[in-house]
Amino acid sequence: MKSYFGKFGGQFVPETLMPSLLELEKAYERFKKNESMQAELKKLQRDFIGRPTSLYFAERMSKATGQKIYLKREDLAHTGAHKINNAIGQGLLAKFMGKSRIIAETGAGQHGVATAAACAKLGLECVVYMGEVDMERQQPNVIRMRLLGAKVVPVTSGSRTLKDAINEAIRDWITNIETTHYMIGSVLGPHPYPTIVRDFQAVIGREARSQILSSEGRLPDYLVACVGGGSNSVGLFHQFINDSKVKMIGVEAGGYGIRSGKHAARFAGGREGILHGTKSFVLQNADGQITETHSISAGLDYPSIGPEHVFLRELGRIKYVSATDEEALSAFRYLSETEGIIPALESAHAVAYALKLAKKLPNKKLIIINLSGRGDKDLPEMEKGLKI
Amino acid sequence: MNRIETAFTHIKKEGKLAMMPFLVAGFPNFSQSLKILKVLSQHSDLLEIGFPYSDPLADGPVIQKADQVALKAGSTTSKVFELIKNLRLTTEIPITVLVYANLVYQRGIEKFYRDARNAGIDGVLIPDVPFEEISIFLKAAKKYNIDNIYLIATTTTPRRLNKITKVAQGYLYLTSVVGITGTQKDIPRKTLQYIKQIKRQTRLPIAVGFGISNLSQVKKLKINGADGVIIGSSLIKLIQKSNTNNPQTLINFLKNLNY
Repeated sequence: MKSYFGKFGGQFVPETLMPSLLELEKAYERFKKNESMQAELKKLQRDFIGRPTSLYFAERMSKATGQKIYLKREDLAHTGAHKINNAIGQGLLAKFMGKSRIIAETGAGQHGVATAAACAKLGLECVVYMGEVDMERQQPNVIRMRLLGAKVVPVTSGSRTLKDAINEAIRDWITNIETTHYMIGSVLGPHPYPTIVRDFQAVIGREARSQILSSEGRLPDYLVACVGGGSNSVGLFHQFINDSKVKMIGVEAGGYGIRSGKHAARFAGGREGILHGTKSFVLQNADGQITETHSISAGLDYPSIGPEHVFLRELGRIKYVSATDEEALSAFRYLSETEGIIPALESAHAVAYALKLAKKLPNKKLIIINLSGRGDKDLPEMEKGLKI
Repeated sequence: MNRIETAFTHIKKEGKLAMMPFLVAGFPNFSQSLKILKVLSQHSDLLEIGFPYSDPLADGPVIQKADQVALKAGSTTSKVFELIKNLRLTTEIPITVLVYANLVYQRGIEKFYRDARNAGIDGVLIPDVPFEEISIFLKAAKKYNIDNIYLIATTTTPRRLNKITKVAQGYLYLTSVVGITGTQKDIPRKTLQYIKQIKRQTRLPIAVGFGISNLSQVKKLKINGADGVIIGSSLIKLIQKSNTNNPQTLINFLKNLNY
C-alpha cells in the first residue's frame, strides 16, 4: 500500500506506534481479501446501517433553483450520519485483528455515536475522547454515546475541541497499544488510516453512481459535499474520480468569514504542514504552531484536512470553497422548511454552497449534494441561534 | 569526538549514569528559562531542551502545560535558538533538542539544522518522525554535523531496531514505559530486559526517559545497563511548585538522583 498521496500523507508518529500501524496495514490487506469478513460487512451495511441509503430528488429545492438537485441521504443511515460506514468497517477489522478495546475521538459526536453503536453491536469496549467545548454544543450525542455503553472522556487541554480530542486519543493509543485499536473517524491520521477510512466510505459514491444512472440515465454535473477531515466527501467523490466530466466541490467551514481569521478553511488560510501523523494542509502560524479554528459546526472545526484531498486539489480534480456560519444556518433552515429534512450543521455547509452554485448555473444541471448527517444533534444550539 | 560522545565516554569511565535534565525552552519565560538552564548545565551531563509546541502528542499533561506557558510567554522558534545560543556561551555541555516535526518543517528543514548548528546544538530528536520518514531530516542533520537522536520503545522489534541503529546517532532515547512523558510508574521488567537486548544490537549509549523521578528507578536502570536518564516532567513540576529564583531545590533534586 502506498503511504503517500502525491507528496501528502505519510506516517508522522512516535516510534511506539509504528509497529501497530504496520500491523494494521497488513491486517487490512488480509481483511479486504477475506470473503467471510467482506460478506459480514455487506450484511451489516444492509441490516444494521440500512444501506443503500436513498438518493432523494429534492423537488421543491430543484424547482426553486431551476436545477435538478438530489440529496444522498446519509442522514438516514443508522445513528444519523455517514460515520457509521467507517465505524462498522473498522469495528470488524479490529475484531479481525483480535483487539478488544476501541478508542475514538469525536468532534460533532457523530463518529463517537457511530463508534459506540458499532462497539455495542460487535461486543467491544469503547472509550471516546471529546473536547469539553464540543460536549457542550453537541450534548444529545454525549447522552447517546453513554447510552450505547461508551465511556466519554472530556478533553480539557488546548482549544478543547476535535484537535485536542485527537491528541488525547493518540496518547491513550500510545499507552495501550497492545490491546487497543484507534478508530480514527475521518480520512486523517497516519497511513494506512486515510486509505482505510476512504475505502469504508466509498460505499456512498458507489451507491450514488448507480442510483443516479438508474434514475437519470446519466452522470451528475456536480457533486457537492462538506469537508472537515473529509470522509463524507471522499466517500461520495471516490467512485467518480475517473469520470472527468463530473465536477466535484468540497465545502470548508468559513466560520465568521475568511477575512475574520476565525474559520476552518484550510485551503483559504493554511499551507503545507504536519499534524496528527500526516502531511497535509494545516492552519498554523509562521512557526508552525497550530492555530485555533472556528466553525459553528463541531464536525468541521479542525485545522487540518485529509491528505488525499490536498493531492486531488493539486491535480485540479476537486475544487474547494467555503460557506460561513451564517450561510450554513440559513441553509439549515431552508432545507428543513423546503424539503422537510433537518440537516446536520456540517451538511448544511454543502447545502449552502450548492444553493449559491445553483443560482449561477444554467438551468437543468444535475447536482448531487451529500447530506452527510441529520441535524437532531444541533437542535439545542439552534434554539439559541435561530430563536425557534 | 563530538560533545555527546565525549560526555558518554567520560561518564562510562567514571562508572556513572548520565544525568540528562529536560526542560521546555522559554518556560516559565525566556530569562528564567535561561537562568535555570545555566544552573542545570553545571550539575548535569547533557541538557535536553524542548521546543514548545501547540500539539505535543507524545507528551503528558505536565510538559504540555509547560509548552503552553512558554508559548504564551512569547516563545518562538527563533527565540529558542537565541536562548540556546546564549546558553552555549557559558557551557560546553552537550545540548540536544526535542522538536516536533511541523516546527522543523515550517522553518525549512535545512534552515532548521543550520540554525541548530549555529546555536551550538549537538543533537536533534523529532518524536513524531519514525524511521519511515527520517531520510529528509537525516540529510540535513548530516550536512550540519548534528546527531540524529532516535526515540525507541519496547514495541520496537529487533528487526526495526537494526534499521534504526543504522541511522541513529549520539544515543538512543528509550521510553521507560510504552506511553507518554510523565507517566509515573515503576520501570517495567520488560523495559529492563529490553535494555539488555538493545545492548546486544548496538554500541550506542542508551538513555531512558518518561516518568523517571526517583532513585530506585535510576538504580534499576543502571544495574540493567542504561547509560543515562532523562528527567523531564518531575523537574518541570518542581519548577512550577518551587521558587525558581532559588535553583538550589533543582540542584538538590538532581543530586538525589545521582547514582
